[in-house]
Formats: sequence, structure tokens, C-alpha cells
Amino acid sequence: MFRASRSSSSVGLATILGVVVLVGSSRGELVVSPASVLLDRPESSHQLLVSVAQPNQLPIDVSRSVSYQISQPTVAVIDSNGLVHPLSDGQTEIIVRHNKEEVRVPLEVRRLAKPEPVSFHNEIVPLLTKARCNAGGCHGKAEGQNGFRLSIFGFDAAADFAAIVKEGRGRRVSVTAPEQSLLLKKGAAIIPHGGGRKIEPDSYQYARLKRWIAEGAGFDDLASQSHRIVAIEVEPLQQSLLAGGAQQLRVTAVDNNGFRRCVTAEADYESNAPSIAEVDQRGLIEASDIPGEAAILVRYLGHVAVSRITLPRPEVEFQRPPETNFIDRLVWDKLQRLGIEPSELADDATFLRRVYLDTIGTLPTPVEVREFLADNSRDKRTLVIDRLLDRDEYVDYWTMRWLDVLRADQLQISPQGTVAMQRWLRRQFRENQPFDEFARELLTVQGSTTAEGPASFYKVLDKPDEASRAISQLLLGVRIECAQCHHHPSERWSQADYVGLAGFFTGIKLKKLPNGNEAVISLGGSDLPHPRTGETVAARPLGDSPAEFSGTGDRRIALADWMTASANPFFAKAIANRIWAHYFGRGLVEPIDDMRDTNPASNEPLMAALAQHMRSVDFDLKAFTRTLLQSRVYQLSARANDSNADDFQNFSHAAYKTLPAEVLLDAISDCTGVPEKFNGWPEGYRAVQVWDNRMPSYFFRIFGRPVRASVCECERSGEPSIAQSLHLLNSPEIMAKVQHRHGKARQLANSDLTCDAIIDELYLCMLSRLPSSDERSLMLQAFDGIDADRLAAVEDVQWALLNSKEFIFNH
Amino acid sequence: MWKVKIGSRRESCCDGVSRRHALRLGATGLFGSLALPRLLELQAKAAMPSGAKAKSCIFLFLEGGPPHQDMWDPKPDAPEEIRGPFRPINTNVPGTIITDQLPLCAKIADKYTILRSHSHRDNGHSTGYHYVMTGRRANFADGDNPIPNNDYFPAVGSIVARELGSRSTLPPYINLPHPMTAGGPGFYGAEYAPFVIESDPTQPDFEVKDLQPIAGLPESRIAMRRKLLSGIDELERNVQGRAKTMSTYYEKAQSLITSPDAKKAFDIHAEPEAVRERYGYTQLGQCTLLARRLIEGGCRFVGVDAPGWDVHFNCFPSLQTDLIPYADRAFSALVTDLEQRGLLDETLVIMMGEMGRTPRVNAQAGRDHWSMAQTVIFAGGGTKPGQVIGATDAQAAAPTTEPVGVNDVLRTIHTLLGINPDRQYYGPLGRPVPLVDGGKIIRELV
Repeated sequence: MFRASRSSSSVGLATILGVVVLVGSSRGELVVSPASVLLDRPESSHQLLVSVAQPNQLPIDVSRSVSYQISQPTVAVIDSNGLVHPLSDGQTEIIVRHNKEEVRVPLEVRRLAKPEPVSFHNEIVPLLTKARCNAGGCHGKAEGQNGFRLSIFGFDAAADFAAIVKEGRGRRVSVTAPEQSLLLKKGAAIIPHGGGRKIEPDSYQYARLKRWIAEGAGFDDLASQSHRIVAIEVEPLQQSLLAGGAQQLRVTAVDNNGFRRCVTAEADYESNAPSIAEVDQRGLIEASDIPGEAAILVRYLGHVAVSRITLPRPEVEFQRPPETNFIDRLVWDKLQRLGIEPSELADDATFLRRVYLDTIGTLPTPVEVREFLADNSRDKRTLVIDRLLDRDEYVDYWTMRWLDVLRADQLQISPQGTVAMQRWLRRQFRENQPFDEFARELLTVQGSTTAEGPASFYKVLDKPDEASRAISQLLLGVRIECAQCHHHPSERWSQADYVGLAGFFTGIKLKKLPNGNEAVISLGGSDLPHPRTGETVAARPLGDSPAEFSGTGDRRIALADWMTASANPFFAKAIANRIWAHYFGRGLVEPIDDMRDTNPASNEPLMAALAQHMRSVDFDLKAFTRTLLQSRVYQLSARANDSNADDFQNFSHAAYKTLPAEVLLDAISDCTGVPEKFNGWPEGYRAVQVWDNRMPSYFFRIFGRPVRASVCECERSGEPSIAQSLHLLNSPEIMAKVQHRHGKARQLANSDLTCDAIIDELYLCMLSRLPSSDERSLMLQAFDGIDADRLAAVEDVQWALLNSKEFIFNH
Repeated sequence: MWKVKIGSRRESCCDGVSRRHALRLGATGLFGSLALPRLLELQAKAAMPSGAKAKSCIFLFLEGGPPHQDMWDPKPDAPEEIRGPFRPINTNVPGTIITDQLPLCAKIADKYTILRSHSHRDNGHSTGYHYVMTGRRANFADGDNPIPNNDYFPAVGSIVARELGSRSTLPPYINLPHPMTAGGPGFYGAEYAPFVIESDPTQPDFEVKDLQPIAGLPESRIAMRRKLLSGIDELERNVQGRAKTMSTYYEKAQSLITSPDAKKAFDIHAEPEAVRERYGYTQLGQCTLLARRLIEGGCRFVGVDAPGWDVHFNCFPSLQTDLIPYADRAFSALVTDLEQRGLLDETLVIMMGEMGRTPRVNAQAGRDHWSMAQTVIFAGGGTKPGQVIGATDAQAAAPTTEPVGVNDVLRTIHTLLGINPDRQYYGPLGRPVPLVDGGKIIRELV
């Protein structure tokens, strides 16, 4: 890297770069990379990155505002963005001038007349991808487009080669007259093309396609490739930008010999948050004026790299709040970088309601609220967390949540199977079974589907690939179903990975027992064929070498060993993210079970630390949960401040979380004092305890109880609807609870409590807090008037509170 | 809340709003801001081609797969195991022949158009339903799925709701008498989910759930409750995320409860007995009648789901007594009624299922799934009536004319309603999702 002498005056800088004014007038240092440029093919190019680094300031990308000159202009040409193209063989220098500073970068162009032949794999396929020829809407769709079919995103180079060179009666390429090739004439819209002009006639793409055809339109065998691309690198990896600022990226492909080539012009770019930072197909990022963070995904030839762009909120003086544990530290780090201030600590009453609903799915009673508020001990929050984790309702609640994702649909696995599963889950959570043991038992279960245990899971997932897909999503947080049909080149998993994982589940059989029940048995198993090539793929875990089965009759044991090994990169992360999402309303990776390079966590250091913490507590879920709940981040208020109102992914304030249908119904039953009567169930069961997921219930349906048809937690819809509002506002069912003759409202109305005390009691019972004076005077209006009916007043207040967002949501 | 500035410093889409602005609005809109839907509504209205006549759509979905050859596409010259027991009859359009199971529709064939060349490749119920409603193949296997099963791609009704909005306090998109299997809003979110009326309008005590005033609650208490609730709302102004979305639903629910329009639209008992008879005292008949009332009340898209058409076993008795006559009655009554009320031109009516049925009667005297050929019926909304479009081969097995696909039908529906089918929204993964995935307008129809 070349650094210029510190000569420039700040005044000069400011006149060239309006933006510099914003960062003050300290001296800048001109930084140009790379140190030298080598170009050896006619269509190649190299991106220069030029920035001004200043002490204690964000470095500023000036790649588009400096002046460029090539000493020997016949050798190469450079555009105003700093992209160099070769013209003829020779050695010269690129002169970068910025005010009075000057940096010279040696440049060599060679072998232009006789370059290495174009590689179909490395140079043609990514070109077709970048031009979107093989996109799902065009020739990449399963049936192709107008008879020309390419593999989606170019995952199958051999098939693409055949389609281009051999199919269509060979008219797509014409080696003797490359320009007459249909591929070029259509792509450049020289003759009419349904997709329009995808390749400009004066572009490197056109030139490269033409050269490839002229060279004989060959196919380089991947195995014999001398330059196989093994990685890509993006610069800068991380950059903070000012509002409206810009940053040019450079992407470098590295081959197996360590040779590096700039592919900035050829790579594909995508921003995961275009409202914060957009990126164009030259790799130029433009920041908006919305503070936040964007991950710019760079794809080239199946490799993915990420550049993280941060737009700090300007003029925020970040006051670092106290830290209880590493969660706080890592969240504050992130918020500080973004210039987002976290909300205040939630008050005691809010915290209490939140931690009850999150942990045990139950509202605190008025007595519990009063005791907690009156308690003056410093560690009362910690103590209440400990108490909650030991309550029976914790077991009920977590059992229900796992019945959902283990697909305990009683229609599929029978009521007996559902009860067997429920008992097993209850034992796991009551005994706080370490999660690695939990997973191992689930994975390797054998025996009757109606005896206590999770055997029914395999009754639903009775095909090897269905089982492997579900297990992967549930326990590894990896969705591999896309790889069933094709290898998405920017994703990691191939069809071989797909069948490789399914190979662990080929030995499972459901056996009829003499008593009419069924049992899961495991009998060895066999490897599966590759869906495309038909070759046998040895069973192998994701991202690992084939498994060794000697000494075990049950292939799943090998998978369980791999999964729960301390080095496993997926397992601890997946369960840590799942539990985090439950308590914080959103995963660090979202959706929680879709972890991949192209879907990074909103806070990667925190994600890594949580996974590490999960391992260090030996998968003790209660211990892990305790850490989450004790963090200040968990205990923040849901009330946003000016700087964090738009932040929903960095945990700067608590989220409003939808209550699960069962929890909401239990809450309504508890605070009206009228238990729900479930058809066919003895009295006293709470909604959370009901295993029968098919029990008809309008309430459950509109509030989104899952039908347990998938292992995805997303099946439990948290979306509000008009039907929900109507039901709470105006349904006979809710009215019956409020007006019940043994209900809480009547009990309060008939008591000798004063109006004020009744209002207190209703607030404590429903919102777990006392009313403010405004609220009290609002509610007292119900009791006003000469002919005010006390019972009616209590009912009306209760009804109004029941319809408050504060009641319906956990916050 | 972000200020909405139209016309921005960077690149603009053809609709004059930059993508960044749309996205920015999206980012806030996702969390309950009303700016986005309103803005889009304005745009949608501005973008409306002046020629569009249809203001709303009634979509009668015969779930299970109605047998096209036993209804609209008879093959009297085919062997008996193909043609089935029903006989062809003439309609009031010379040359147009349907089966004798549709005598009422036969009398008004000049008022609708029969499309016989609909064809697609999804032979499953839930997957076919997904395909027909969203224009996208399902990514799940056919079978039991959560309802709605379209968790990503929005159903046609949700798109119409988003693009056109409501004309009154009635929700813009309604399902009867239960949610349509693939009728969900997908990534558009709950705001565009159907309002589902889950009661049977044939019942004497039919009422829309949770809309009737609570019995015995005097006006003074209703007023008090409203006062308390609006006081709470005022104190809860600052809620966020889904809680904020819920606030907008509360507003909608309140206006639905108090709205005279809604009350009137839902009150099927106000229909004269003769009219109710004409539609038929069947679930399909009364839902169709209610659909007409909802359209009159300002709803944009009513989806009626009529199950029971999956006739694998001994199909002809049930087709003859329970299925086809009900559809014959409901459809003919609706078209006649709309015309008499002067609403046919502005109301698009479509009747179809997820597929047709196999040419050959099977060993159990039923017909199986057959997505290769299906007949779709169109009426009103600016369609040209009295036609037969397309034809199938001698066995009613496959179109002999250019096949019309699911996306051709969807593109035609949107175009008739004045919606630009190529408009795109960005899905949660940042992929642009056009309203319709390709397709061509059915030229003969419009």
C-alpha cells in the first residue's frame, strides 16, 4: 500500500471534497491500493481503491474524486471510478493525484495478444449469472425460456455448456464467425431478444464471449483446471459511512496457486438493507441517510463474501450503560458503533410482567406483583428469575413450544403418541436435561411410539430426506431443502450434501407391534444416490467428511456424536439463537432456523459469544436462560427514545411480542377469574397444557395456534388481524367471561373495596402494575353518575383493559 | 414517522417514486406505519388504465376439481367411459353446448364466457390451489398444510386488496364461508389478509361472528366503553411493532362494528325470500348471494370456497344431485342479479377450481385429478360474453388450442380491475416479486 506524504492542506481538501468539511480539518493521508497492477487478458480490469485516512475520523473513499493518469496512455486506460482496462502490452504507472498529493502505482499489461484461453467455468458462467441470463425468471427456470435452458444461477456448468454449444442444432455459437453466434446476437439484442439487451456490445462481457467462441468454444474440465478459484476477498470488509457517503468495493478472486485477480467488475452485489445502503453492479455502495447497518453480499462463482456497512446516527453522544454480562457489552458495542442509544431500564412492574410471560407463559398474580414492588432487595430481579425457572409452568410452557416444533399433531401421530411425546418433553424440562442429551435422545430414539419418548417424531418424518431436512432445520438451524433440487451457487449446500445427510436416516423403519401400536427401529441403513448423477453418496454430516459406521448398528448415533461434539459449528449456535429469539422477540439470525453465509446475524460477535456460552454451560438451558434474563439488554424498557425508535434488530429497546394463543387465553381466563372449559377435558386444565392441537377453537385459530405441520416456529403466526380485534372487542365468549356470575368483576363489585381500590386491583391483575393518576381518573369516570351501576362499571373497566395493547402484548 | 417525499435525488422507477423511497417506506410500513399502503393506494389509483371497467371481483372456487367434461365441455361422441352419463344440451348461444346438468346456465350463455383450454401441471389439491391463487408453484408437497398455505406469495385477493383498497368501511378482501386454503397474504402481511366470515349463511341464525352488538348492553355503557378505550389508546400512542399494527386493526374493527354499511352488507336476512331461493338454499348459493351484497357494500374481492368437488368415487350421483345443480343455480342467479342491478359491468365473476378431472371414468365410477384441462367461466367486469374460448381434444384431455395457464388468468383479472400486473414489491429476502409471474392477457376475453 502506498501512502502519500502528508502535504495537503485541509482547505485544499475541502474544496475538492465537499464531504470532507463534515469530518473536520485535520490532515488527511492519501491511501491507494493495490501496490501494483497486473493485467493479462484483454477483458480483465482492476479496481483501484483510494481513500483519505484521518486520525480519529472515518476514512473517506475518494476513488471517484481524485484524478487518474496513465503515464503511457497506449498501455491502459482508467475511468473516473478508478477501474483500469488494458490496451496493449507494456509497463507503466498509474498516477493518482489528490490536491497536491500524488501516488504512483506500477502497472504491467502482458500477453494481451496471446492470453490464456477463456475458461468456461471461471469466466463464462459468472458472466451469464451477472447478466441474469440464468435467473429464475429467464433461461434459468426449470423449463427454460423459448427452448434455451440454463441451470439456475449456473450451478451445472456442464449442462450449460451443452445447452450453449450442442443444443439448438449448434446455432448458438459459430466458431468460424463468432459475431454471428446467436448467443451474442441475442444477448446484445442485435437481433430481437425477448429479454432485451443483457450484454452491451462494447462491454468486457461481449468481448469475452466472443473470444471464447473464437478460441473454439471449449469446455475446461474442472479437475484439470490449473486456475481453480478457491476464494474471494472483498475490501473493505467493514466500513462506516456518513449519510449520503459512498464506498467503492474491490473483489479479488484467489485461485489454487495463490494467484489473485480483480473481479470487481464481474462479481454480483446485493445489499440486505437497501434502505440503508444500496450497491450497484460496479460494486459502488451509496449510503442513504437512515442510520443502521447493511451487509453487502458479494457473489462470484459460488463464493460469497460480505462487506458490512455501518451508518452511525450522527451527533449521538453514546452513554455506555452499565454491563451485567457479556451480552450487554456486545450489544452496547454494536449500538455505540451505530450511534443508537439504548432505552432506559424497564421499571420493576414491567420487568416482572415480561419475565413471567416469557418464562412461564403466565401473568403474575396481584399478590406477587405487590410483593415484588414492595421488595427493596437489590437482587430481587435475579431471585425472581431463579424462582420462575423452577416453577411447574416453565415445564408446561416449554413442553408446549416443543410439541409444536416436534410436530406433535395428534391426527398424524395419534393422541397416545402426542401424550407420549408430551410426557417425555415434560421430563426433559422438569429435570432440565442438557440440550445435547435432549437432542441425542430425540435423534436416536427407538421403540414404541406410544411409550414415553419422542419416537413419534419419526412417524411423521418417515422418509430419510424428510427426517434429515427437519433435523437439520430444527437442531442445526440449516435449511437444506433448496439443495434437494439444485445447488444454489452462492449457498454452501449441494445436492450431495442433501443426500449425504439423508443417508443417516435410511435405516429407520416403523414396525407394527402385536398390540397394534408401532415402534421405531433402526437397522443399519444404506447410502443414497445423487439425484442428478446417480452416483452413490456416502452418508456425511453437513460440511464434513463421510461418517464412519464401524461399531454401530444405528447410523443416527454417528450423526448425534458429530452434532453434539464441542467443535460442531451449528448445533450450539442454533439452540442459542432459538432461545434468544423467544426472549427477545427476534433472533440474532432471522428466520431463526435459516443460518447461512448470505443471512448473517445482526450481531455476529454476540451470536458467537452466545454459542460459546451455550457450550460452556454444557447445554444447561436454565443456566443459559438465566444469563439472558439477567442481562440489562433483556431488562430494557420497550419505550423507544429518539435514536432507537426505528431499530428493531439491535435490541436497543424491548420488543412488543405477540402472546401465543394459549398464553393469551390463559391470561384472559386468569384475570377474569373464569377458567376456560375445554371440550372433553376435565376442569382445571390450562390452555398451555392441552396437548390436543386439533381441538376446535375459534380463539386458538384466529390467534394463530400452529397445526404442527412443520418444524418451523414460524408456523405460529404472531400477526394481528381484524378478527382478533373483533373477537376481543365484541365477542360473546369474552363478554361471558367478563360478566360471569363467579367472575372477578362481580367479585370485586360485590366486595367492600372502594372504587379506587377496585381499579388498583384490576390494573394489578391485568397489567401487573398500579394505574397512573391519569389512568385512575379516566377509569373513575365509569363509576361516576347518579345511577352508576357498580357492577357495570367494573365490567366496563375490565373490558377496556382487556382491549389495551398493554394487555394483549408482552412488552 | 418518515416524511414521504415523492421524487427523489436518486434513480426513479417509472412510477416516479425511487426504489429507495419505496424501500424506506417499506421498512417503516412493515412496522405499522400507514404511509406505505396509503401512498401505494394513491399510486395504484393513478396507475389505473382508464379503460378498466371492473371495480370488484367475485371468485367462486369449486374446491377439489370440478369435472369439466360433465359440466362445460361435453364430449357426446366419445365412448361412454369418457363422456359419462350426462347429455349435451343447447344453450341460448347457437353452437354452444354444455351438459344437461346446467339447465339454468344454458339459458344465459350469452352473459358469460366459457374458457375450455385452461391447463397447468400441478395435480395436487393444496398445491394446485396455491398455484391458482398465487400463480406460483407450491414449494411443499401436496397434503395437509396450515391454512393459508401460501406463506410467501400473496393470493390474488390480497393483491387486489393492496392495490385497490376498500371502497367503504368493509374490508377489501373477504373469504366465505371459511378461509381459502391458499387465500393468504403471503409476505404482504396481515394487513392484506382476508377477512373471513366463518358462519354458514344458509342458517336461519346466520350472523357474522363478533359483529353483533353484545346483547343487553345499553347504549350508555357502549358509549362509556368507547370512552375508556379511546382514553387508553391516547395513553398508548407510543406502542410499536405489532402492537401498533394491532391498533390499526382495532380502528378497523371498531368501524366495522359501528358501520351501517357493514351491517347492511352482512344482513343476508334482508334479501327477499324469492332472491334467496333463486341462488339456492345451499352453502354455495347463499355465500354467492352474500358475496353480491359485500361487493355492493364496497368490498373488492370476495372469494367463496365451495368444497366437495374431489369426486374420486361414484361421482355421478353426487354431481347430479349435490354439486352441479347448486353451482348452476348460484352462478346463473348471480349473473342475472348483477345484470339486473346494473352491476355486471363493474363486477368480474370467475368460477373455477384447482384442476379438471380425468377423461376416463375410473374403476370406482369416479374421476381423478386432471390439471391438464379445466374449464374456467368468466362473466362481467368488462369481459366479452357469449363466447367459447379454446377447445380440448376428443377426450377432453388436453387443449387443442393454445393452452391458457394460471398466470394468464391472473394477469387478465388484474388487468380488468385496472391493476398493473407487472408492478413489483420486494419480498423479505429482498427479491422483487411481481404481482403476476409472467402470463399473457386472454385476448379473446377482453
